[in-house]
Formats: sequence, C-alpha cells, structure tokens
Amino acid sequence: MVKPKVAIFDLTDCEGCEVEIVNSRFIDRILESFEFVHFRLGQKTNKWENFDVAFIEGSVITSHEVDLVKKIRENSKLVVALGSCACFGGIAALNNFTDVNEGKRYVYGKEGEKIEVIEVKPLGDIIKVDVMIRGCPIVRDDFDRVVSDLLAGKVPKEHTRPVCMDCKSKGNPCLMLKGTPCAGPVTYGGCGAPCPSSSMPCDGCRGPLEVPEMSAELELLKKMASPDDIVRLFRKYTSAAPAFKSAGGGK
Amino acid sequence: MKNVEMNYITQIEGHGTVHFEIVDGKPKVRMEVHEGARLFESFLRGRRADEVIAMSSRICGVCPVVHNYAAVQAVENAMGIQVSEQTKLLRRLGNVGQMLQSHALHLYVLALPEYLNADGVVDVYMRNPEAVKRALRIRNVGNLIVEAISGRAVHPVSSVPGGFAKLPTKTELKRIVKELKGILDDCTETYNLAASIKYPELQRKTEYSAIDDGKRYPSYEGMIVSSEGVRAPAADYRKYTNEVYRSYSHTKFSTRNGHGFFVGSIARVNLFSDRLTDGARELAKNGAVKFPSYNPFHNLVAQGIELVHYAEEGIEIASLLARTLKDEKPEKVVRAGTGVGVVEAPRGILFHEYAVDANGIVREANIITPTAQNVQNIEEDLVALLSANLNKPREELVRLTEALVRAYDPCFSCSTH
Repeated sequence: MVKPKVAIFDLTDCEGCEVEIVNSRFIDRILESFEFVHFRLGQKTNKWENFDVAFIEGSVITSHEVDLVKKIRENSKLVVALGSCACFGGIAALNNFTDVNEGKRYVYGKEGEKIEVIEVKPLGDIIKVDVMIRGCPIVRDDFDRVVSDLLAGKVPKEHTRPVCMDCKSKGNPCLMLKGTPCAGPVTYGGCGAPCPSSSMPCDGCRGPLEVPEMSAELELLKKMASPDDIVRLFRKYTSAAPAFKSAGGGK
Repeated sequence: MKNVEMNYITQIEGHGTVHFEIVDGKPKVRMEVHEGARLFESFLRGRRADEVIAMSSRICGVCPVVHNYAAVQAVENAMGIQVSEQTKLLRRLGNVGQMLQSHALHLYVLALPEYLNADGVVDVYMRNPEAVKRALRIRNVGNLIVEAISGRAVHPVSSVPGGFAKLPTKTELKRIVKELKGILDDCTETYNLAASIKYPELQRKTEYSAIDDGKRYPSYEGMIVSSEGVRAPAADYRKYTNEVYRSYSHTKFSTRNGHGFFVGSIARVNLFSDRLTDGARELAKNGAVKFPSYNPFHNLVAQGIELVHYAEEGIEIASLLARTLKDEKPEKVVRAGTGVGVVEAPRGILFHEYAVDANGIVREANIITPTAQNVQNIEEDLVALLSANLNKPREELVRLTEALVRAYDPCFSCSTH
C-alpha cells in the first residue's frame, strides 16, 4: 500500500499540539502508516511534494506565515487546522484587542516596533481548511479519530455538542449552578471536560459551537460576573472566533 | 512561486537559524530566532492574576508545567500568600513529570537521532522501534504524573493562588510510585545511550547557573547561584540577566558581566551533583562522561542523568505524599503587590514576575526563560566550535553548528513568547 504523504507545519505557537500527537495512543500506527515528507520538528530532510494531508499548527502572525500557508494549501489535498491557534487565532489573537505597537515597545523597547505582528485571524479566513482539530491543546482522541478516518479514505466530520455533555458524562457538578462563570454551555465539547473535572471553569479553548446560545449564556453570566470578567472569559485562546470576539460587548 | 522556505534548524523547538561568516580567519556568529513575537507580557496586562497562571503555560507546549508553576509562585509572592509544604511537594512532583516528558522528548525525538545516523525520529523508529518505545514509556509516566497533579498533560489546569483547585488521590500517588519504578531501567538505558555517543570535541568553561533551595537538587524554588560565586535572591533576577534586544533576533539576550552563562541540565549537574539521588550521583561521578564537564554537548548526557534523578526523586515524593496527603483548600486572597516566581525548567532557570493591583489585575509582567538566558552562551560556544574547525568544509560547519544548538535543547517559543 502506498503510504499517504503527510506534512506537519508549525507557525507561531507553543508546539503543544504536536506534543499531543506524540502522546497519541496510536503513535506507532501513525509512524508506520504515513510517509512524513515535511516535518521540521521531527526530521532533517523535508521536501515540498504534493501532500495528501498537511497539518498546520499555530497562529498566522507574520506576512511570511501568510505566504507559507498559501503555499501549503496549493501543495495539499487536505489541510487540517491543528489546535486552536490555527482554528481560532489562539492566544496570540489577544494582540488584536491591544495597541500592538505599544505592546512591542513594552516587550522589546523602542527598537522593537519594527517587529511584524499582523492582525491574527483564524486560518480558515486565509486559506480553505478541510478539517479542524480544536483545543488548546488538541485532545488525543480527536486526533486519533481524524487519523483513522484519513487512513480509511474518509473526510473526517465533527460531531457538535457543548462541553456540558462532557461534564454530564464525567458526573461533574455544574460550576455555574455554584456561581462560577463558565464558558462550557457555548463551547464545542468532546474534550472530556478536563477543566471542570479539576474544579476549574471551561475557558472556551475549543471555540464556540456552530450555533452557540450566546444570549442565554450571557444572561446567566451577568448574574455572577462583572462585565469585564465576561469579556475576559471568552478572550483567551479562541478570541478570533466571531461569537467569542464580540461576547459581552468588549472592545 | 514565491520562495517561502527558511532554512530553519530542524529538530529544535521553534524557529531559528545560525548565521555565520569567517572574517580574517575569525568566525562571526548570530543566533537568529525568527519565532513570531506573541507579546505575552503585553497582553497579560489587564488580566486577572488567577487567569494569568493558566494563560502563561501557553508560552510553551513542551514545558507548560514550569510556566504554570513559575506564574502561580509569582502571583503568590505578589499577593503575600504562603503555601503549605504539601503544595510545594506536589509542585516538585509535577516538575518531575515535566522533566520526564521534556527530556525524553528532546533526547529521542530531537537530539539523538543524528548521532544514530538517522534522519529523524520516524527513521529511528523504523530501524530500532525499541528506542522510541522506551522514550514513550518514560513520557507516558511523565504525562500520568502531570495529569494527576495538574489535571492535564499539556497545559495544566488546576493551579490556583495558594495551591491546587483539586488534589490527586492517594491511589493516584501510589500508582505514580509504581509506574516510576517501572521506568527506572528505561531512564538508565537512556543515560547509557546518551553517554555512549562520541560527541564533537569542545571544551569551553563558562559560568554555570541554577537555583538553590539550600538542601535539594534544583527544582521548584530557590536563590540564584552560579559557578562564579553568584548567590542572590530570585527577586534580584534582573541584575543577573540584563536582557537586551538585538535587531536580528526576536529573543532578547541575557549576559552577566558582559559574557554569556549556561543554564539547564549541564549547569545543574555541574553545580549540584552531590545532591543527586544515589543512582544518578553514581552516573555523574563514575559514568563514561565525568562531571563537571565543560563540553556543551554533554548537556545531553546530563539530561540522561537527570532522567534517573527525577524519577528517583519522584518515587520518594509520591511515596511520602501517598501516606501523608491531606485535604487542603486554598483560600481566596486578593492583595496588591509585586512578586517573582522561579522554577527550574527542563532547560534551566525560569523567571516570571507580575505586579498586581488591589483588584487582582495584573499591571506589569516580565518573563525570562532559560533559552533567552542561554542564547549569548550559544553564540560564544559557536565561535569556539567554528574556530576549532575552520579547516572543515562549510557543509560540515553547518552540521556542527546545528548540532551544537540542538545540544542546548533550545526552546524558541519560550524564549520569544
């Protein structure tokens, strides 16, 4: 059998989603089933061939990265956005809400102003994305499911449900019923609710549901959180997703 | 088609290149880091201090645990919150998990394949699957520990000012002891592999620096110390880093007295081999590579020693906690102040500093990572390495420079943040 040609690219990010690939329960099958033709993190020889699948991890924050993802798209049958940086801009999108030149001066001093940081958008706003694997970081089971589908020649589909369903199946008490602001009701589930399972609220890292009930969520949140805290809740790792960007009326 | 290929060094965390030229027989070197500037310190301002703890871990997916712990420690110091000995032990244990995750990944996936004449980790796996499986066994135990202590293997969730939102169970701690015992041989085998390799010859003594809590091998907190006699509170870290921006790199450079210094595994083993656990101390003293070592490539051997050390330390801590763990609930406190947190990351000393206002909002943030501290020393070592190999063809010089950078286990996502 001809092995599918795979590329893994990382843009500006933490590389934690690539780390989660290494953590996959099926890593041996992944290593055996694909031909890795471009994988800078894992090998010396990297080639631009026609990729059957290209995984793109990270946020696009420079014009070089814009050019790079366009070139990847031209070379790939399928493009998979790996993790919330690619899917929804990631944490770097928080610069969209600040005076970015002041930010550069704050970090690097006056000279740092020439460092390029463009407005951070979801990868899907720049190139066509075929599959999203959400999360900060991605969830191993999601990755394994996508890989199984790809190996079976299927285009992976997403199954949409809120994080509340994960909490229910874990038997977690609802944090919102105890007055803790939580993004779970409007956030795309399937993560196994690791945050509420540690008594911490969901921070929306898998991005909004396709049709999130934002107005009902915001009504509830107003009873337990300040307007600033509501804005902050949705501006962490997925703030370039439209429903979360505008949640709570923040500027 | 536009040329968008950059010749980034492969098999390192993040994006960087070495630029060098030989002028009048002398090498000139730039360690250029091209990782995008995410500006964490800028956008963390205006966030609640308790949010910053989880957000800061996103600086790095290879070492998220130490960012999380350095941030929570800084917030606690800013707000004047004391934590229990149990909390400190749990964080040390979480850091054991972090070290196992990171060192096993770096050695097997990034650094060692080139010495095994392999193109990369997939290549190693096809020829010697057992080596890669060994790495995965060590990593899996690291993941298990971090999941039990901090709720998730990558990007911990349960740290709150004063402790943890959720504690592990005694059953989980007992399982950690059992699993750690199960990988001790794998850790020793990893050391044997790393110590058996013939590394490039390079001897250049520099300043080695780590943190010292006065009694144990460096891990969770302590004073800044060095082989040149530095002994200072962590709060004075700016004096011992002196970060400056250079226009060719998105990572700022640290120096002491105008020169570079080395943080990370080799610095810790060079300074504190007498505090290693029994098995690890024996390797440092009587193994194939002797420490203190002044060959930067031996950082890889030091990582092997540390795998043994941290696994043994983890058994000790988890055994103790499995007997003594008691329920503790951190109380919510909000006070204004400024605080520094310091942790030994897999790659060396990590500083986080936050100024928090009376409403618990972060107003100032500063983060100095181990790789940012090491880049100046990398440049100095590269000059020494190139000077000693001027007669070699350029291709070989490129190979050597990249291998040297890799031996430092740089993390350019961290250093740029």
